[in-house]
Amino acid sequence: MYHWKRIVINGLPLLFLCLLIEVFVGQLLLLKEETLLQHLPLFLMAIPVINGVGGNIGSILGAHLASGLHVGSVQLSIQDKVMHETVITAIIMGTITYLFLSIGIYLIGLFNGLAMNVTILSFMSTFLLTGVILIGLLSLVSVITAFISFKKGIDPDDVVAPIVTTIGDTFGILILFLFIGV
Amino acid sequence: MILKEMLKQSLPLLILCGIGGIFTGSILGSMVDIFHRIPGLLVIIPGIIALRGNISTAFGSRLGSAYHLGLINADDMWNESLKQNVIGSLTLSVLVSAAIGVFAYGTTVLIFHQTVSLIFLLGTVLLAGITSGLLLTLFTIGIIYLVFKRGYDPDNITGPALATVGDITTMLCIFASAILMEGVI
Repeated sequence: MYHWKRIVINGLPLLFLCLLIEVFVGQLLLLKEETLLQHLPLFLMAIPVINGVGGNIGSILGAHLASGLHVGSVQLSIQDKVMHETVITAIIMGTITYLFLSIGIYLIGLFNGLAMNVTILSFMSTFLLTGVILIGLLSLVSVITAFISFKKGIDPDDVVAPIVTTIGDTFGILILFLFIGV
Repeated sequence: MILKEMLKQSLPLLILCGIGGIFTGSILGSMVDIFHRIPGLLVIIPGIIALRGNISTAFGSRLGSAYHLGLINADDMWNESLKQNVIGSLTLSVLVSAAIGVFAYGTTVLIFHQTVSLIFLLGTVLLAGITSGLLLTLFTIGIIYLVFKRGYDPDNITGPALATVGDITTMLCIFASAILMEGVI
């Protein structure tokens, strides 16, 4: 069933591509780091959390879709009921997680005496909005990559998680930058 | 049905991993400062951490499918499916780490115009890649075993758990490898 060569062949080219994108995104963040540190330290703290949760939700969704496709409980159709339910659950779960963490980050910032030049409401709404848009996008990417890879005979388990986390790291930062205007 | 099970198994873990992410983010930030004198290494650290996560979560995701296909379970863990998955993941770790080492060397010399030993960079990245790969493989097998024992769906657990533990492990391995290689060379 599994062969290590297949795993390496499926993974290697994609991992190189993801590496290049991650290095590029890392540089982009480094460029804005000073500005964020001075003016919006709370959002600098929020970036790894927004990206991390997005990646986690996307990889849970991808793992479920891959298992479903392998077993046959998920069909290659955009009208598949199990797929719909899993996607909706992922989005609900992500929203609740972001809600909790937005409060958590604000409190940690408050206790650590970070420059609190943003109200809790505007922080929470920016954080939540970025997060919800991100998981919406990542859910879409997860379904598309799982379906296309499976159709092409590539194991979705090999490709969905890397693609979703890389897109999550890129767009998490871009969407947030767009909202806070840096 | 799907909703209830996923919320019960994944949501607490997601929140826990998010809180973990808040703290590791700041710890990693302060550790990264140590690498400022090796700009090539600094540039590729986000890449190394992301790749480690990618290889591990894909490994966990495949084990989840293997479980649903009936290829692996708590009573039959050490079989051919697991073996092929372990070899595949470790091979990816070695190949990708070697490529990262060469890439880091290239950026240091060509972009930052600094001289750095290729053996040092390659050695650091390879050593970090292989040790973190081995540690995370063991951790994955441990997690999978616990998940099976509890009757949970591995698909709900492996992604977040491996990504969070992977970030910390990888950073510590790069750190330790760099110190070790500096001592050797």
